[in-house]
Amino acid sequence: MNEQEILAKKIEKGDFQAGGEASSKLKDLLRKLGVESALIRKITIVTYELEMNIIIHSLGGEIRALVSDKAVRVIANDNGPGIDNLKKAFQPGYSTASDEVREMGFGAGMGLNNVEHYSDKLKVESNADKGTIIQAIVEL
Amino acid sequence: MQKHSVLLKEKLCEGCTNCVKKCPTKAIRVHQGKATIKEELCIDCAECIRTCAYHAKYSRTNTFLELADYDYPVILIPPSFYGQFDGIKPEEIHRALYKIGFKEVRDVAVAAEALSWKTKTYLKDNPGMFISSSCPVVVRMIKILYPELLGHLLKLKAPVEIMAESIKTELREKGLAEEDTALFFITPCPAKNTTIFNPMGIEKSFLDKSIAVDLVYQEILKVLDEEVNSNDDKELITNSTHSDAIDRDKITPIPYKGFSWGQSEGELSLLDDDLSKRTLSVSGIHNVKDLLEELSRNNVKGIKYFELAACNQGCVGGVFNVANPYQAKHNILKLLDEGKNMIEQDFSKYNYDLTKDLKAIQIDRLDSNMEKAMKKLIQLEKEIDLLPGLDCAACGAPDCKTLAEDIVNGRGKRSDCIFVLRQQVEDLADKMSELAHALPPVMRNRK
Ligand code: SF4
Ligand code: SF4
Repeated sequence: MNEQEILAKKIEKGDFQAGGEASSKLKDLLRKLGVESALIRKITIVTYELEMNIIIHSLGGEIRALVSDKAVRVIANDNGPGIDNLKKAFQPGYSTASDEVREMGFGAGMGLNNVEHYSDKLKVESNADKGTIIQAIVEL
Repeated sequence: MQKHSVLLKEKLCEGCTNCVKKCPTKAIRVHQGKATIKEELCIDCAECIRTCAYHAKYSRTNTFLELADYDYPVILIPPSFYGQFDGIKPEEIHRALYKIGFKEVRDVAVAAEALSWKTKTYLKDNPGMFISSSCPVVVRMIKILYPELLGHLLKLKAPVEIMAESIKTELREKGLAEEDTALFFITPCPAKNTTIFNPMGIEKSFLDKSIAVDLVYQEILKVLDEEVNSNDDKELITNSTHSDAIDRDKITPIPYKGFSWGQSEGELSLLDDDLSKRTLSVSGIHNVKDLLEELSRNNVKGIKYFELAACNQGCVGGVFNVANPYQAKHNILKLLDEGKNMIEQDFSKYNYDLTKDLKAIQIDRLDSNMEKAMKKLIQLEKEIDLLPGLDCAACGAPDCKTLAEDIVNGRGKRSDCIFVLRQQVEDLADKMSELAHALPPVMRNRK
């Protein structure tokens, strides 16, 4: 099956009220496609982290999701400020969670470490003036 | 096989769609003016019963009539039941139930105390976060809407099943024949009734029957009233005290601590300090749903255990109850002061573990083939765009999105939407007038 875009959602900077909408919607769509629940869990967590990352750390952006029979690709595209945000996001210890909490599967914080942890492949491109594109792939 | 306990009295239903909108799993549609429930989606939360102003939604349990069918009927009282009474002692309630005809009156709170102990050790031995599995509505909701969280459900039975199994063993050891005995449960909710014929996590329920709280409540008041009246009558006093003496002997120690389980934060209060600080108690089905949504995206931090109850304030909020949930909660809190310690018993005598896996119920999938499902998904998005997005429910579905899903699944049509229908009528009218004016040239100017 060819890759299909099933979700494209604009995310405003600071719009906490809408936080979680993209991940919930994606979860719903993947369930309709019959994707296994353990994989949906991973994708939901990754997507939620990415959308919150845009809301909190960027000037706004967009979340898109593409599905083929092999993988789900979540793309977070933001309008800046780019690399600075990224360095901070990947800093070890930037996430607030203790090992115990992390083991519980919870609270790994806003860290992209968490996105890395739950996705099978992660690609990051960042450009100081253009913003950041993060691609997280979860294989089906 | 019947899968749930909430039913519809067709005659009473006005088709108002109030219940359709309130249902947390979107299980109800109004078709031909009647609110029908989709079997596979109903989790017995009873929101529709609470919502319906016409009392068209209801639930049925067994009654006292079935009592006569058994030589040795036993009744199990849930902790929440004590919240229904103010100023009537638990012993009096036991005694009244003996008078009604039960051979044994037993408290589920006994097993609740034991389960609190078991939960503590379980949570200490197992890494990860866990969700209480004692409310069947919550378990079913997870099976249907949040299967990704199934692995987090505590793999322990609900107190009532633990208690029932243990009583069954006792009865067998006493030499009573299985067919002569029956375990009745005073149920606060349709969901507990459902677990008797449609159990989760075990092969078969250890309960045989259930009677709704309101029915038992009435009967107990009747017995207690009669006593008061007969006590006025001097001649009968000796008689009644005599039979009371027998009943009093049979009354088992009252597990006051375990009564906590009847209300929200009850489980939490019986864990030890460190654990209770990392336990979160949430009640009310819509609150529970919101929390599960957060859990599925990993957004609740620092919590080890979740005590979730479908009803407002816990089982005291069950739809069969008589007292207001807050009043009932207050009554229980008052009783908790009566017992300083848990009753003495051997915790190791119970079988706590679930014996079957809790499986997901897959209902969302558009097609078993992913490619076909994708085609339907694209069609679904188109259908959603065609509908007005007013979520008025006049189509009988809770919102436009759900009607779109029904259309794609062949269970609804576009013209079910009154706005689409109006548009179609308007288009048709235009077409008709257009046709009316499109007379053949030879006919023109002829009057
Ligand atoms: S709430 Fe539901 S069952 Fe009650 S009248 Fe309205 S549609 Fe019918
Ligand atoms: S919370 Fe409500 S639905 Fe759940 S077991 Fe208690 S009374 Fe039943």
